[in-house]
Amino acid sequence: MAWIVKDSANTQIDRRTEPYWTPKLAKKFEEDILPRYATKQAALLPCVHEVQHTYGWVPHQALEEVADFLDLSFAEVIDAVTFYEEFKLEPVGKYLIQICRSISCELCGYKELSKKVQNKLNILPGETTDDGKFTLLELECLGSCGTAPAALINETLHEDLTWKQLEHELNNLPD
Amino acid sequence: MPLDKPVVCKRIPTPPWGDPAKRKRITYSRYVNTGGYEVLNQIIADDTDPSELIDTVKSSELRGRGGAGFSAGLKWSFLPPPDGNPRYLAVNADESEPGTFKDRLIIEFDPHLMLEGIAITMIACQLDTTYIYIRGEYHSQAKDLEKAIKEAYANNIFGENSIIGDINGRKPNCYVHRGAGAYICGEETGMLESIEGKRGWPRIKPPFPAIQGLFQRPTVINNVETLAVVPFIIEKGVDWFKSMGCESKLSPNAPGSFGPKLYGVSGVVQRPGVYEEELGIKMSDLIEKYCGGMKKGKKYKAAIPGGVSMGFLDTEQYDAELDFDIGRRYNVLGLGTAGVIVIDQDTSIVSMTRNIVRFFSHESCGQCTPCREGSGWLYQMLCRIEAGDGRMNDIDLMDELAQSMGTMPGTTICGLADGTNWAVKTAIQKFRHEFEALCKPDKIQIGVKVGLAS
Repeated sequence: MAWIVKDSANTQIDRRTEPYWTPKLAKKFEEDILPRYATKQAALLPCVHEVQHTYGWVPHQALEEVADFLDLSFAEVIDAVTFYEEFKLEPVGKYLIQICRSISCELCGYKELSKKVQNKLNILPGETTDDGKFTLLELECLGSCGTAPAALINETLHEDLTWKQLEHELNNLPD
Repeated sequence: MPLDKPVVCKRIPTPPWGDPAKRKRITYSRYVNTGGYEVLNQIIADDTDPSELIDTVKSSELRGRGGAGFSAGLKWSFLPPPDGNPRYLAVNADESEPGTFKDRLIIEFDPHLMLEGIAITMIACQLDTTYIYIRGEYHSQAKDLEKAIKEAYANNIFGENSIIGDINGRKPNCYVHRGAGAYICGEETGMLESIEGKRGWPRIKPPFPAIQGLFQRPTVINNVETLAVVPFIIEKGVDWFKSMGCESKLSPNAPGSFGPKLYGVSGVVQRPGVYEEELGIKMSDLIEKYCGGMKKGKKYKAAIPGGVSMGFLDTEQYDAELDFDIGRRYNVLGLGTAGVIVIDQDTSIVSMTRNIVRFFSHESCGQCTPCREGSGWLYQMLCRIEAGDGRMNDIDLMDELAQSMGTMPGTTICGLADGTNWAVKTAIQKFRHEFEALCKPDKIQIGVKVGLAS
């Protein structure tokens, strides 16, 4: 988590001319989100959520633009954003499969489920398939302990999962 | 005595009173048609004095449902008198502890109950702005909640034309703030930091949030379930509330455990799920009467009473009473969130402990060394024992390591490490034989013979 050292010195930053933080987004946040908080900094999480929701991940350039928007230094932004696991600072597959690995899901057999997904897609947790369609992650508690095992595929929660259901789900995701 | 009518689950079909398959979100109109917002309207019509509301909640001895079990009314009374500047309510809907999924029920199906509780609390404590901090993984629940808040705004519960009127010279507002996958943001001061847009590092207390919380202003922090109980206490009174639950069994002066409670049962039982009962119900009753007993062919071995940080109950403690005294009576940390996790005979306690410690090592925020380093080392040692390469003295070393971290030995800022501590400590105390069975002796005999050959 927070204390994992990153290889910042060798990081290459991809840039594009078109901004990620578009004037449209800026306007929406200016009107709706900023008035909610006593400081501009407090709108950081909502802003980064919006970026992640729009682009599927959080590009470096987008964070610089958000920092400008909120009158923060880039350091303050990256300091906070790297703390939160949900913000993906590198691109992930089109479908992010997150399988819960916490205690109730372990009792109800998440391991078998995860193994089968790994075999089917030929990736380990943390990896993305070559075609960029799937990324597999194992994460801590999804709050579905009563309906374990559970998995999130992008933003949709699937509960009481069996391999048959999950396989069906994976087979039917469009390219 | 078991509950004869559901309280918090009044509108949410919950066994034995209703069928969970028939649950659906209670809209504003349905909520109002079933007596919703009546208490709030009554308070406004009577112009009830805020201090009266605080006194009612205080004398009901309502204890926080988020884990610590601190008296809600007492917490409210710590606030300084209003000075005209903003004061905040931060609702803890972070619910990230494995085994805990009770608040989700309220957020998903009866969000207006919580919103009514919020509105009453805002009046009682003179708070003008509410942030509901919901965990990032609850995508659909956050959307449901946004919808409910929109309905509440449209019906003037909050906003420009709010029926509450002005508080601290401001219009009452209620917003959702989404977290982003960090368990530590469920710790109250970690949550405040997260709302302020920083990393969720818990703050050193004092100053307590009631004095200097969000944006350095007085802040009340309550759990979703605590707030959902508040309207019932105001409506039906202290005596009704105290007719449920039990006095403390430790000493007559200790605070009791009163009122209804949501229990989330998961693990190896027939019908896992959220059930409502009085505080003080026996765990065996909960498993047998409500959950239909253990899964076929499985036998009870151990349980965790309330989220993984509470430690293990052993095989003999099957009848443990689930109330706020459970910690001292049954040698666990406490009732926690009452998210009971049931473990069967065929599951290794070592594996379960490994899973729990991995969780804490993963979720440690990294501020305090004992927690950051200790949990990581404990995880490695447990992996080694599980793989069959551990040594007998690893067990005592783990025990020592675990007991040196947390707020109770006084080596960390927040209570996250206490969770690691109690999980490991109670596993070793109550199931030492399972660890020993997997460990090799410290000294291994090698085949050298000394002296004369026989």
